Amino acid sequence: SQSTSTQFDLKGYWTTLIAEINQKLDQAIPVQYPGKIYEAMRYSVLASGAKRAPPIMCVAACELFGGSRLAVFPTACALEMVHAASLIHDDLPCMDNDPFRRGQPSNHTTFGVDMAILAGDALFPLGFRHIVYHTPSELVPESRILRVIAEIARSVGSTGMAAGQFVDLEGGPNSVDFVQEKKFGVMAECSAVCGGLIAGADDDEIQRLRRYGRAVGVLYQVVDDVLDAKVQKSEGKEEEKKKKGKSYVALYGVEKAIEVAEELRAKAKKELDGFEKYDESVLPLYSFVDYAVDRGFNVGVSSS
Amino acid sequence: EEHNSWPKSTFDFKSYMRQKANNVNQALNAAVSLRDPAKIHESMRYSLLAGGKRVRPVLCIAACELVGGTESMAMPAACAVEMIHTMSLIHDDLPCMDNDDLRRGQPTNHIVFGEDVAVLAGDALLAFAFEHIAVSTIKVSPLRIVRAVGELARAIGAEGLVAGQVVDISSEGLSEVGLEQLEFIHVHKTAKLLEGAVVLGAILGGGSDEEVEKLRNYARGIGLLFQVVDDILDVTKSSEELGKTAGKDLVADKVTYPKLMGLEKSRELAEKLNREAQEQLVGFASDKAAPLIALANYIAYRQN
Repeated sequence: SQSTSTQFDLKGYWTTLIAEINQKLDQAIPVQYPGKIYEAMRYSVLASGAKRAPPIMCVAACELFGGSRLAVFPTACALEMVHAASLIHDDLPCMDNDPFRRGQPSNHTTFGVDMAILAGDALFPLGFRHIVYHTPSELVPESRILRVIAEIARSVGSTGMAAGQFVDLEGGPNSVDFVQEKKFGVMAECSAVCGGLIAGADDDEIQRLRRYGRAVGVLYQVVDDVLDAKVQKSEGKEEEKKKKGKSYVALYGVEKAIEVAEELRAKAKKELDGFEKYDESVLPLYSFVDYAVDRGFNVGVSSS
Repeated sequence: EEHNSWPKSTFDFKSYMRQKANNVNQALNAAVSLRDPAKIHESMRYSLLAGGKRVRPVLCIAACELVGGTESMAMPAACAVEMIHTMSLIHDDLPCMDNDDLRRGQPTNHIVFGEDVAVLAGDALLAFAFEHIAVSTIKVSPLRIVRAVGELARAIGAEGLVAGQVVDISSEGLSEVGLEQLEFIHVHKTAKLLEGAVVLGAILGGGSDEEVEKLRNYARGIGLLFQVVDDILDVTKSSEELGKTAGKDLVADKVTYPKLMGLEKSRELAEKLNREAQEQLVGFASDKAAPLIALANYIAYRQN
C-alpha cells in the first residue's frame, strides 16, 4: 500500500480542495449588521494558512463511496466552522491564554474577549445552519443529515472536544492520551465519519472510518509533538514546562513518541485495507496517513 | 393598584404551568446525566437545573399540541431551547461580559466552577442541544426534525441571539440609542429564542406552513412584550418585589422603553403587543389555544 499511496498526488488534491473550500467559506459568512461579529467570525474561519484538514478528510471519505462534492461541501465547511469556534474558545485568557494562533493574533487579541466568546457561540450554530440550508436534499436524505448533525454535536460537546480541553486544563497524571484523543483525534474521526455518512456508507464502514480518523488525528498531533521537541532542542528553548501533560514527548520521550506514531500509522492503514474493494478511491485516505508522518519527520530533520 | 386583568377562563394556567414545567425538569434531568468528565457535567447541570419558570420549553410544547402534535414529539426540542437559553445566561454572566456574580439568588456558574469550565459548559450545552433534537426526537419525520434544527440554528447565531448581545454590548454607555436599536436588541436577545421555541414546536407537531407562520408572529409579539414589561417593572417595582436589583438598568445607563417613550406609552405598547399576539391565535381550536393565550397574558401582567 505504501507504494500506491506515494503515486497519489495528495498535494494537488489538497491544494485544489483548499481553494474550493476557502471560497465556499468566504461565501458562507457575508458581513451584515452588526458587522463586528461577522468580522470576528471571518477572521478565524478564513485565517490564511489554514490547512483545512477536517473538510478535506471529510470530502475524501465521501468520495471513497462515490459521494459527490456538491453533497458533502456544506458539511465539510461546517466542520471548519465548529473547529474554528473551538479554537477561538481554547485560546481565551481563561483557557490556554494564547495571544497567537498560526502566527497571527488570536481572535480575542484582535476583537476582545467578549466578542471572541460570541464569535465562537455564533460559529457553532452557523455550522449546523449551513448543513441544513445548503445540503442538496435530492442528493442527501434528511435521515443522513440528522446523523451528521448528531455526530458533529457529539464531537465538539461534553464528551468530545470540550472534554479534551477540560482535562487538558485540569492536567493530572497520564491525561495526555485522553487529551490527545479528545482534542485532536475526535475532530479527524468526526470528519471522516461525516464524509461516510453523507455518502451513505454502511455501519461497518462508518466504524472503520471512525477508527481510521481517530488514529490519523492523534498521529498528526504526536508527530507535531516530536517536531516541537526537535525544534526546541535545536533552539535551546525551554517551553516544555508549559506543554507538560499535553505532549507525548514530554511524557514518554521522543523515541517512545516515534514508536507510538509508527503504531498509529500502521493502525490507520490497516483500517483502510478493509476498503480495498473501492480501488483507487481510497488513495487520498492512504496518503493522509503518510503525509501526517513524513511531513513531520522531514521538517524535523531539516531543522536540526 | 395591581393589574388584575387575568381573563376569566376555565383554563387553570397555574396548574398547567406547574405540570408542564415538572415534565420539562424531569426530561432535562434525564437528558444531561452525570458523565465523565464529571465537573463539566456538574457545571452544565448546575445552571440547567437551577429552576426557572421554563417559559420557553412550555411554549414549545404548547405550540406543538396546538397544531395536533403530542408533548413527547416536542420534548427534546423544548429541552434543547432551555439548554440554549441556559448557555447564553452562563456566557452572559462571565466577567468579560456582564460580570454577574449572582443569578436567581445563586452564585453564577463561573463563580462556582471557574471561568474556563463555565465557557466549556456553555459550549457543551449548545452542542448538546443540537445532538438532543437530532437523536432523541421520536415519531416525527426526519424532514421536520431537520427543519427544526435549521430554525434553532438561525435563532441563536449571528443573525439571532448573538446579534442582540453584540448590539447590546456596543450600545452600553451610549447616549444616543434610539427606539429602533432598542427594539433590535430585544427582538434578537429575547424574542428570537422565544420565536424559536414556538416555531420548533409547531414544526415538530406537524403544523402547516401557514400555522407555523401565525405562531411565529405570535411568538415575536410576546418576545418583545416580555422585554417591554421587564422595563416597565424595573421602574415601577422595588428590588424586593422583583427579586433582583430594581433600577439597575437606569444605574447602568441602559436604554429602556420607559426612558425612551415614557411609562404610559410603554404600557400602551405592551397592551398592543399582547393584543396583536393573541389575534394570531384566532382560528385555532380554542381549548388548545388556551395555554398560549394564558402565556401571553402571563407575560403581559406578571408582577416580577
